[in-house]
Amino acid sequence: MKKLIVAALVIMTAVNFTFAAGQQEAGSEKVTIGALIRNTDEQFVADYAENLKKLAAERGVDLKLLDSRSDQAMQLDQLNVLLTQGVKHFVIVPNVTEATEDMAKKIDAVGGGAAFSNIQPSVEALKVSPNFYLASSPESVAGQIQAQILDEYFQAHPEKMANGDPNAIDAIFLYGQLGHPAQVFRSEAAVKGLKDAGYTVNIVAEDTANWKPDEAQAKMDTWLAAYSGKFDVVIANNDGMALGAVESLLTNKYTDDPSDPTKDVDGDGTVLRVPVIGVDATGVAVKSMSEKKLFATVLQDAVGQSTTAFELAYMMATEGSATGKDAWGISPLTEVTGESPATDAAIVGQCYLVPFAAVTMDNYKEFMQ
Amino acid sequence: MDTKISAVADKKGIVTLKTIQHTLGKHTNLVTLVVLIVALGIMTGGRALQISSLQNLMVAEAVRAFAALGVGLIIINRGIDLSIGQVVGLVACVSASLAQTSDYAGALYPGTVFPVFLPIIVGIAVGTLFGIINGLLVAYGNLPPFIATLGTMSIAAGLQLIYTRASTIGSLKNEYKHIAQGSLGPLPYLMIYVLAAVLILWIMMTQTRQGKAFYAIGGNPQAARVSGINVKLNLLKVYALGGFLYGISGVLLSSRLGLANPLTGDGMELDAIAAATVGGISHSGGIGTIGGIFIGVFTLGIITFGMTYMGVDSYYQLLVKGMIIIVAVYFDMKRHAKRA
Repeated sequence: MKKLIVAALVIMTAVNFTFAAGQQEAGSEKVTIGALIRNTDEQFVADYAENLKKLAAERGVDLKLLDSRSDQAMQLDQLNVLLTQGVKHFVIVPNVTEATEDMAKKIDAVGGGAAFSNIQPSVEALKVSPNFYLASSPESVAGQIQAQILDEYFQAHPEKMANGDPNAIDAIFLYGQLGHPAQVFRSEAAVKGLKDAGYTVNIVAEDTANWKPDEAQAKMDTWLAAYSGKFDVVIANNDGMALGAVESLLTNKYTDDPSDPTKDVDGDGTVLRVPVIGVDATGVAVKSMSEKKLFATVLQDAVGQSTTAFELAYMMATEGSATGKDAWGISPLTEVTGESPATDAAIVGQCYLVPFAAVTMDNYKEFMQ
Repeated sequence: MDTKISAVADKKGIVTLKTIQHTLGKHTNLVTLVVLIVALGIMTGGRALQISSLQNLMVAEAVRAFAALGVGLIIINRGIDLSIGQVVGLVACVSASLAQTSDYAGALYPGTVFPVFLPIIVGIAVGTLFGIINGLLVAYGNLPPFIATLGTMSIAAGLQLIYTRASTIGSLKNEYKHIAQGSLGPLPYLMIYVLAAVLILWIMMTQTRQGKAFYAIGGNPQAARVSGINVKLNLLKVYALGGFLYGISGVLLSSRLGLANPLTGDGMELDAIAAATVGGISHSGGIGTIGGIFIGVFTLGIITFGMTYMGVDSYYQLLVKGMIIIVAVYFDMKRHAKRA
């Protein structure tokens, strides 16, 4: 206990000594933007952060970028630290929608603003003040596009539904970390999209592989032993896991021609017996598509989202407001959409939607790096 | 055990180099904390050490402090608990679900108004229940604590996903959020809770027979049994107490975040065990103090805070944190080895 008192005394003394010094931090002319980033272990978020750094260097902005490692408590702590340092304008890739309102209120209390990307902010967060923006492509759209790609595939190749129940799409799902917003929304939207297109969806097997190729490969190995010939498609929440599944299917010779795994015998666009679909359009994924292994993926535009968000924050910092202005050539919405938060007329003008893109056999070459 | 602090001066009141050395050597964890604070002050030209920074640090570490106190006591009794993070997460989800605004359509119990004390009581009860299960498995089931709590870790994670259907529990009542977000003047409530808990546990460990029993069991279970201490019952008690503290931790976490989801609390066991260890709790049992755990929590806290303040890449933060844990514990172990 005495140690405790000594520690408290030392901290207090140190604090008193430097209290005056700490008061003055601002004063320099340089624009400062805070970036609170969910977790750069995710490819999309890593690309997003890289682009922010590049933009900041180009514009001479002092970018304070912090990674919360998927921990919302840590993101709040980081926000507190930056607010203490006098940062007012933010680009935020949140951990969860439900946390955005509290974050917006804290920023608003110092007269600042923020642009949210990737995970959509709540309607309430945008209502905190006109200085809060959505600069994103909602996660669920990725799932919708997966469903659209598969709808086209099964329309062109109805015979590919013959595995398992011939009147249903028998799907295997590889999920990201359970409860992660990208896992929840992408999966839900993919199933919903297929059902809306008139299919019956029968989930043959589903499990998390925590975004990881190796875990996905091991899962797929097990499932192949149990469900060989009983599924029509493998749907993964990201490209990493999709590629793990592809690797498993290849090593287990689950290909059109087991003797030559490079031949697309049935002409459906993939050498595998079933299509495997991911999200992210990473470099390796597009390369795999060029070899007709991975069937398709969805590009979530990290550069587009981060540039839009950065421009909004930059305009707020330099011009005082970004209301009504274009960012990265994208105009704010004028009409409500069916996707939160752009569902509320009061804040629809604070929403900037960055387009998603389907990456298929028809267009993958455009995405090769 | 380690509670009596030797005077800096010798009997004649003269401070010698040797006594200073001796005192510093005895309180490596405190020395580490002070060195880190001073280093942070120097590196940021003093800017990082403001009142508001101290508040940020307190708020950031309070939830972890409860978890560290819980596991610290368990480690003193030669145990370990891996279920912390998932139990804290489960508690956070359960308590959050009972604190949602009743007009929120996405609530787990839409339209139902629960009194604000209910999530607190149920949350702490869930934590305590898990503590009791851990205690029964270890004390009466004779399972190694590592295995027993590995099992309950997975069970808590599963229950949390089943209960929440892997979704986020948000839109919590303002009264509930106020529990952890409010402050009394410059003092955040969270800090008051932690200080109260530290005081109570300190009294328990140093002034009561219960505390002596815990230290005795940690020091030598056979000897404790021979001297008439009910080892099994006390082990059950310490795991239950740990669970109780994780319960508080989970409730405060959901109140502080204003939400809970399946990622809430994830990995907290490592932070809590690290904090207790850096605070001088020996894994061979019987050694360590409540004050030490508190210092350990803030040592890790100041590392995170300092590096965040200076904008150090989080990948390097992990690296630095790991190295400081190893260095701090290395010197602590050396000190104990010398004494033994």
